[in-house]
Order: sequence, then C-alpha cells, then structure tokens
Amino acid sequence: MVTSAAIYHVLHAINVTIEIRNVCVFLAPLFSSLTTIVTYLLTKELKDSGAGLISAIMIAIVPGYISRSVAGSYDNEGIAIFCMLLTYYLWIKSIKTGSLFWSTLCALAYFYMVSSWGGYVFLINLIPLHVLALMFTGRFSHRVYVSYCTVYCLGTILSMQISFVGFQPVQSSEHMAAFGAFGLCQVHAFVDYLRSKLTDKQFQLLFKSLAITVGVVTVVVGGALTAMDKISPWTGRFYSLLDPSYAKNNIPIIASVSEHQPTTWSSFYFDFQLLVFMFPVGLYFCFSNLSDANIFIILYGVTSIYFSGVMVRLMLVLAPVMCIMSAIGISGILGVYMKNIEFGDSKAKKRPDKKIDTSYPVKSEIATGIVVMMTILLLTYTFHCTWVTSEAYSSPSIVLAASQQDGSRIIFDDFREAYYWLRQNTPEDAKVMSWWDYGYQITAMANRTILVDNNTWNNTHISRVGQAMSSPEDKAYEIMRELDVGYVLVIFGGLTGYASDDINKFLWMVRIGGSTEKGQHIKEADYFTPQGEFRVDREGSPVLLNCLMYKLCYYRFGEVYTEQGKPGGYDRVRNAEIGNKDFELDVLEEAYTTEHWIVRIYKVKDLSNRGV
Amino acid sequence: MEAIYSLPFFVLEVPHLRLKKPAFIKAPSAMVTFGLILASYFLVTGGIIYDVIVEPPSIGSTTDEFGHSKPVAFMQYRVNGQYIMEGLVSSFLFVLGGAGFIILERSNISGLTRFNRIMLFSFGFFCIIVSFFACRVFMSIKLPGYLR
Repeated sequence: MVTSAAIYHVLHAINVTIEIRNVCVFLAPLFSSLTTIVTYLLTKELKDSGAGLISAIMIAIVPGYISRSVAGSYDNEGIAIFCMLLTYYLWIKSIKTGSLFWSTLCALAYFYMVSSWGGYVFLINLIPLHVLALMFTGRFSHRVYVSYCTVYCLGTILSMQISFVGFQPVQSSEHMAAFGAFGLCQVHAFVDYLRSKLTDKQFQLLFKSLAITVGVVTVVVGGALTAMDKISPWTGRFYSLLDPSYAKNNIPIIASVSEHQPTTWSSFYFDFQLLVFMFPVGLYFCFSNLSDANIFIILYGVTSIYFSGVMVRLMLVLAPVMCIMSAIGISGILGVYMKNIEFGDSKAKKRPDKKIDTSYPVKSEIATGIVVMMTILLLTYTFHCTWVTSEAYSSPSIVLAASQQDGSRIIFDDFREAYYWLRQNTPEDAKVMSWWDYGYQITAMANRTILVDNNTWNNTHISRVGQAMSSPEDKAYEIMRELDVGYVLVIFGGLTGYASDDINKFLWMVRIGGSTEKGQHIKEADYFTPQGEFRVDREGSPVLLNCLMYKLCYYRFGEVYTEQGKPGGYDRVRNAEIGNKDFELDVLEEAYTTEHWIVRIYKVKDLSNRGV
Repeated sequence: MEAIYSLPFFVLEVPHLRLKKPAFIKAPSAMVTFGLILASYFLVTGGIIYDVIVEPPSIGSTTDEFGHSKPVAFMQYRVNGQYIMEGLVSSFLFVLGGAGFIILERSNISGLTRFNRIMLFSFGFFCIIVSFFACRVFMSIKLPGYLR
C-alpha cells in the first residue's frame, strides 16, 4: 500500500495525474517487470549473462508467477516476490564481495520485504541456513562473516520497526535460527582468529573446552526460556508447513482454503511445463561447480520444492528458482554443445593435420540436433504458457462463462445481479449472512454490512456462522436473531452445474462450526450416510437433509426440471435427485433468486406478533 | 588463576579416554547429496504430500454400461486432484527427462569408446523425447481441451 501511495504521489508531483485505482491495478504487472530484471541480475551472478537472459525470459511468462501478478490482483505477493529476489541478489553480491555497501543494501531490501509480506520468515531462515551450510562445507570466510553480521543486525532492527513484527525477532522460534547462526558466526570467526595466533596444542585444548561450555550453556538457556514461554513456539501458520497434517486435524479454517491444499503433479506440470524437466539439470550443474553462491541457490531450490509441495499457494515462491535453475541447466547444455557445431565456411574444416576423432562420430550433427531440440522445447514452453495464461488465469472470477455444445459461450452474470439487487432493494443498515468467501464482494458491490469476510481473522465468529448454516431452521433462527441478521445469501450451482457452490463447501462449514465451544454438538459424521458417503438424495443423512443450508439451496428446486429424462430437482453438480423436495420455510422467506439460480437471497422474518 | 582451575582436580580424577571418531563417518560428497535431492524431488513432485493428507485411491474406477468396473488412471477435469499412481508415474517421467539431459552433458567428454558414446547419446535422446511427449499426452488425458 505504501508503494502504491508513493508512486501515486510521485506521479502527481510531476503532474502525471493517474487515478489511484489505476495505480493499484497496474502495480502487480509493473513489479513483475522489475522482477524480470532482478532475475536476470541474480542469475548473472550465479552463472553468466547468457543464463541470466534465459531466466529473465522464462520468468516473464511462467504461469506459476503470472497467476499471482495479473493486473487487478492487488495482493501482497505482487511486490513481495520482487523484494525477495532483490534481497537474494544483494545477498549474493555481498557474499561475493564481502563489502559493507552491498550488505547494507541487502538489509534495506530485507526491510522492504518485511513490510510487504509475512513470508519474510522464509528469507530470515534461508539466509542463516546458507551461512550454516557454508560453515559445514568449510567455506566460511571473512566475506561471509561481514555480510551476515551486517545483514542480521541491520535487518532485524529495521524489521522491528514494522508494528506487525514488533518484538517477534527476539521472541518467536521462527527467528531463532537466525539468532543462533549469528552467535555461531561469532564463535567460528573467533576460533579462526585464535587458530592463527596460538600453537596447535594450546588451540586444541581451548577449542574443546570452549565448544563444550558454549554448547551446554546454549542448550540450558534455550531450554529454560522455551519452558518459561519466553520464546514462543512456531505459530500455526508456519507450523502447518513443517507438519502438513497439523492444519487438517486442528485448525480447519486454515485447512479449508483451497490454496492451502497440497500440490499434485499436474499443478507442477501445468504451472511450469519445461521447467520441471530442466530443474534437475540445473541442480546437476550447480553441484558440479560448487561455489558459495551456488550453494545458496541449491538450498533455495530444495526448500522451495518442499514448501510448494505442501501448499499450492507457495508455487509462487518456487517459480523464480525454477526459472533460475532451468536457465542454468539450459545454458550449460547449450554452452557444451554450441562449441561442437562446425559451420559450413569455418576455417577449422581446412586443417589437414587435425585428426578426426573416431570415437565421436557426426559430432557437429549431433550438436546441431541438440540445439534444434532445445529450441523446439522452448517454443513448446512458450505456447504452453500463453495457452495456460489465456485459459486459466485471465478470466474475471465474478462473471462466469461456459461453452455450450454448439460452441457458443453463455455468460452467467448472477453474482453482480444479486449484489445490485441487494444494493437497491434492502435497507441501508441491513446485515447479510453468507459464507466468508463472498464477504469482500458483498461489501464492495452491494454496500451492505456482512458478518464474516475473506480476512477470516475472527475464527469464533465464522464458526458461529457455520453453526447457523449446519443447524436445523429453528436453532439457526436463534443464532440469526442473536447476530441480528436481516438477509441470508447462499450460492447454489445445481441448476447450472457450477461446482464451487455452498453445498460443495458445506463440509468445511460443518468442520469449522464444530471446532469451537458453542458448536460442540455439531459432528461431521452426522452429515454422512451410515456408509460414510456425502449424499443429497433420498439416501442422504436426515441431519443434512434438514439443515438450513440444504433448505436454502434447494427451496422450490423440486419443481425445476434441469435435464432431459431426469426427474424434477436433479442436482447437476452432485448428479443426484434431491431427497427433501417439497418443504416450506418457517422463519425465512425467499427474497430473490437470480436468473440461473446461482445466488439465492432470503429475508429473515421477524418474531411472530403473538407468542405461540 | 591456575590455582582456581585446579581445585576440582584435587577431588576428581580425569579418566584416560581414547575416543576416536569412526573413520566411516564423513560428510557426503556433492554427487551423493545431488542423488538424495533428486530422490526427494521425485517424491515431492509426485504429490506424495497430497497423497498423505487427502488419501486418494491408487487408481480410480468407473462402471461402464454393462456394470463392469473399469479402472481409471487419471482423475479428469481437475488440475488439483490426482490418484497416487498417476502422480508417481509423472514425477518419474520428470526425473527421467532431467536425467536425459544430464546424460547428454556427460556424453561429450573425451575418453569414451565409440560404442559407449553412441549408446549414451541415443539413451539421452530417448529419455528426453519419451518423457516430454508422454507428459504432454498425460496432461491432455487429464484436462480434455488442453492446448485447444
């Protein structure tokens, strides 16, 4: 946000008056262009400018990064990836030169990263991990010492200026690795200094006693502080990366977000295509020419592969390193084989004393073949990326489009239809209850108060909404009166076949509803059949067939014929005829249903005039 | 100062220990580490974490018009779902393609006999071409409408 405001003010100061909304919309593409440049610089440091150019071209179109940097997606990741790669580039520069200038710049870039995304924890653990790896492989030098001390001290102090971070760098376990590496740096440098001054025997004695003392003190103090809760353990967000089953078992609201699901092979191929093949090749080249900088990129690559396997959203963090590694691989292969190609008019052919190498037949032709194959692979990469971007990552998510059998497109504008109905036909202070996915949209377009939105910071409140949706009508009415709800909004895809509707999300509502104290009576198993299936037809569990969400979605749906040859009330998403068809609603009345029945709005009736 | 340090040793006796680090424990070489990382790459890109959390079946099944159940290898229409087998097969192809390029790089060195060199080149080309086209075909089975 600060970045957008800064750009807006700078432009206005030079009388280029661009509206702030346009600045925000185009911020992500602007920063992804800058990312391309930084990727070039980073790969140039790691290998050479040829590899740099290839990596810049690849990251410019890689779908894994484009998915989070389209114009209009105004999220942290738009600038966070740029900041992250800038920090890494400056870190590599400072490792290579050992100068205070580059280290300070790296600390400043780290400060920018901390202010933009909570994923800075990845950086503050990767850089110490790199330092430890350098120590372990015997590559620790004064350059590393100067770089890490500067970056850690300045970076930590700067990061504590951000109010969200506060004192976490000295209190939480996520930052302890950096602190530990800092201490170890001092010890290692001191040991190296002593080794140069003392005789061998004296040094051995001092080293052993110091190592034992420091080790014991660290363990005792660290253990005592953790036991006294002065150092907080890993928080849920990051702990679920180390132990993926933790979120599934303990925090359903984190587990329910579709971006937080683990990754499948097709996500890897879909987002990267050629890069998944070239990544091991780049790793191989890095391992063949180990250097300080290469060790860093190897660590970055390996950790990103693991984290992106845990959570689909983190494919974004993997995208730059995939491009860098693949570029190193491609550049390596091409570098080896371009030398072998002999062009028709080269003088080398005329040398009579050059012996033809019998062990290597058709050298030039094979080399040409390899270069041609590489070119074709890169071309297919380009076609794939442009296809994926146009099909998967370019459509607005609020207007749905589908192709019919004869090829024509049909547009579903139901969301906006419903939100504008809400805006024009409900009192200004009406409160709308819906699931949290639609919170921001309702606030922005319908201009009405909602109970829970995408920020999802109040888990108890969301759980209450989940309890209301999962309970039968009368219990739900008590909750709705308690929360002072005027209207209820549900998304229903059974008529059109829209699969991301509330019935498909319903199990998450049950899980989240049952996860707090007031929802203890809601058990997930009640909503399944005795055989353990989730069914909406006659065989479905009676608890499911009578809960509020079911009734709101399928009210009057029994009279609708959706497909030829199927009875009325055939749900096209679940592929079943619904079980509970002719029912009336007691405490709600239908207010509006959109053209394709995707959004359904109900009004909560007031208490009856005379007590019954 | 020495006097203070020597105080405990009037009571305690230092034992004569002869402890040596066993010779076979040493840091792994670069290529061994590379092999381990490649194995973990195979597992992670095969979606093993997805398999552990979501527990999909190894192969899906569908019934045809006669009521016989037929196996289904690829979970269709979804990029974010997989069966266990398809994940492992695909990640094996990824690693095979990478290995093909590595073999090509190793084929260029001097000191190989003619036969070995031809073998290495043909194996390298074979790995790359087969894995690339197979993955393309798998993706179009999984997402009908891929690249149209």
